[in-house]
Amino acid sequence: MSSFKKYSQEFITKNLHFYLVDFKGLVVDSNASFMPRVVNKNITSIHPFFECFSSFADSLEKEIVFNCVHLETNEKLFITDVQFVRKEKEVLVVIQDFTQHYTTYQEVAQARNESIINSELIVLKNKELQEREEFKNSFIQNFSHELRNPLTSIISLTKLLAETDLIGPQKEMINFLLESNSNLKLMLEDVLSISTIASNKLQLQEKAFNLNKLINLLEFTYTAKAKQIGVEFSLKTIGKIPEIVEGDRLRLFQVLTNLLDNALKFTEEGSVSLLVSLNQTRANKANIRFLVEDTGIGIPEKDQESIFESFKQLNNCGKTDGTGLGLAIVSGLLQKMGSKIKVESVVGKGTKFFFDITFKIPLKTKKTVVSKNIDKELLSAIKSKNIKRFKLLIVEDDEQVQTVLFKVLINTDCFYIDLINDGSKVLQEVVNNSYDLILMDVNLPNVLGNHVARLIRDFPMDSINKIPIIGLTANVFNNQEKGYIKDGMNAVVSKPFDTENLLETILRHLK
Amino acid sequence: MSKSKKIVVLGHFGVGKTSLIRRFVSNSFSDKYLVSIGVHITKKVVEISPTESLSFVIWDLEGTDEIDTIRDAYLLGTHGALFVFDVSRPSTFQNLKEDLKIVTAKMPKVPVLIIGNKIDLVVEKELKELLKEHNIDYNFLTSAKTGSTVDTAFLELAKELNV
Ligand SMILES: Nc1nc2c(ncn2[C@@H]2O[C@H](COP(=O)(O)OP(=O)(O)O)[C@@H](O)[C@H]2O)c(=O)[nH]1
Ligand SMILES: [Mg+2]
Repeated sequence: MSSFKKYSQEFITKNLHFYLVDFKGLVVDSNASFMPRVVNKNITSIHPFFECFSSFADSLEKEIVFNCVHLETNEKLFITDVQFVRKEKEVLVVIQDFTQHYTTYQEVAQARNESIINSELIVLKNKELQEREEFKNSFIQNFSHELRNPLTSIISLTKLLAETDLIGPQKEMINFLLESNSNLKLMLEDVLSISTIASNKLQLQEKAFNLNKLINLLEFTYTAKAKQIGVEFSLKTIGKIPEIVEGDRLRLFQVLTNLLDNALKFTEEGSVSLLVSLNQTRANKANIRFLVEDTGIGIPEKDQESIFESFKQLNNCGKTDGTGLGLAIVSGLLQKMGSKIKVESVVGKGTKFFFDITFKIPLKTKKTVVSKNIDKELLSAIKSKNIKRFKLLIVEDDEQVQTVLFKVLINTDCFYIDLINDGSKVLQEVVNNSYDLILMDVNLPNVLGNHVARLIRDFPMDSINKIPIIGLTANVFNNQEKGYIKDGMNAVVSKPFDTENLLETILRHLK
Repeated sequence: MSKSKKIVVLGHFGVGKTSLIRRFVSNSFSDKYLVSIGVHITKKVVEISPTESLSFVIWDLEGTDEIDTIRDAYLLGTHGALFVFDVSRPSTFQNLKEDLKIVTAKMPKVPVLIIGNKIDLVVEKELKELLKEHNIDYNFLTSAKTGSTVDTAFLELAKELNV
């Protein structure tokens, strides 16, 4: 044998061990490698793994591989791949040592499995914590709710008592009682608020309200309150704040009063101010910033997060008057409204709390839609066309637009109006009624308004295929408008529409 | 010489397969989790009665959350199986029915005992309600940590295999 061949042989067999085993399991031959060199013994004596040898010998398999088998022999562990290969009279058992490779794999698997199990446990733990939190919140909520009734009785009885003839120190005692009662009531309201927010039971309103009036009310209230404690209050607005917006007036009011009360509480001299500024308006939405600034004691940086946590504050309760839940309520309410409270503060200088809210601006306020604005001539022109009222069909799915249209048209006193919001029902309606005109949104759910117009135009009855159709659309590109007209619409009015323009268009197409 | 029986221990990773075997074979336990890869084989003689015994060759298989990825070679010549889940981790028993279907498809006619392990971590009464709710059948609830019901489970399997 050449020395090269000898060396390479030596190298190859270093990690390979062979046993030649007869079908009864007796080892016939073995090389000298990492496994014990046994001959004339049953292979099961090497390691209990080999007890599966007989199953292989009895089977019809030609070859089988076992990956990643741990074989410990003579106190040493090898992680191996074991192969049984069926030969004429024997089975060749090939054992390949992959200890190093598999050890690396083990480390990877270790990290992976541990992290999977940990994340599962975290999820479970969070679920448990959440359940506990929910229980706690609903408990507090129910409990404080229950407390309200007896407290109300106590308060009214104390007030009655205060009006009776009192002698000596009784008057003072009653005053103290009244004061404590009203504090107790405020605290109860706070706890109730925070638990309502935390238990997700808070339902926000989406209603149009007058933001101007709300700001004015705050200015009035807080100018007076500030004066009482010798602090200055100022209000400033920047930009054109929309007068009417949609949202939850009560909750916004609660947020702002909490912030303003808080500012007054911690300001001994100087000023408290409310700044309302328009960040931007886009489509029919306005983003508005509210900022409450004071020249009070300030908040150390390390506390600037925890002041919004309800139970931290409950723990500190007693250091200041009230529950101290105000900021937690603010933070919770704003979160519900899709906003976030932010704070900037310098100890000894003062504090700024601010947040941004996006309000929807109701459609009707965008263009004034009030009957008195409608040109009298226009109306008499419509009226002169017909002694009776015209029959109109409105096809529109947006409730806001529906309302606006209704208001505009009813106020003219010239129309009977039918309303449907489903484009697929139009033809049926048109056939069963005799309409003088159809006002139809182009972007209807399920079907497009211009396709409906096409159907009407193709209807084989003159009384139907000649009905004027006016399209309403928010797509204001010219080429689209042309397409709608080609489909059989007589005119297209774009949203948000101008009342006069709409009425004029209607008038033009009435017979 | 006692009859030799091959037992495979199956289930997701981390459910306590290795720990159950260690408790059964050497009556010990460790809190440390050492992920098993591939297969470890140990042997233990089980006394069924004063006159009868079986020699268990126990295959501790690498745990996986996808039972159908078990290599078929490992299952060759199996006489009995333990399917272990972790009572404190629902992800290990949520799909128990499907997992068992795969196991029996791979090893038809092989008896499989279902074991819920780590019973020391939960309240037994609540657990039983939960398992009932999820419609999960099991044969034994064990704890490799305390040793509770571990021998019983293996012995039961031995009895089933000794016919
Ligand atoms: N509390 C408790 N922990 C256990 C029990 N059995 C196993 N463990 C732990 O669970 C982890 C995984 O166990 P192991 O036997 O390696 O699981 P395997 O991947 O299924 O082999 C280890 O940290 C064990 O200490 C048990 O009955 N009770
Ligand atoms: Mg293991």
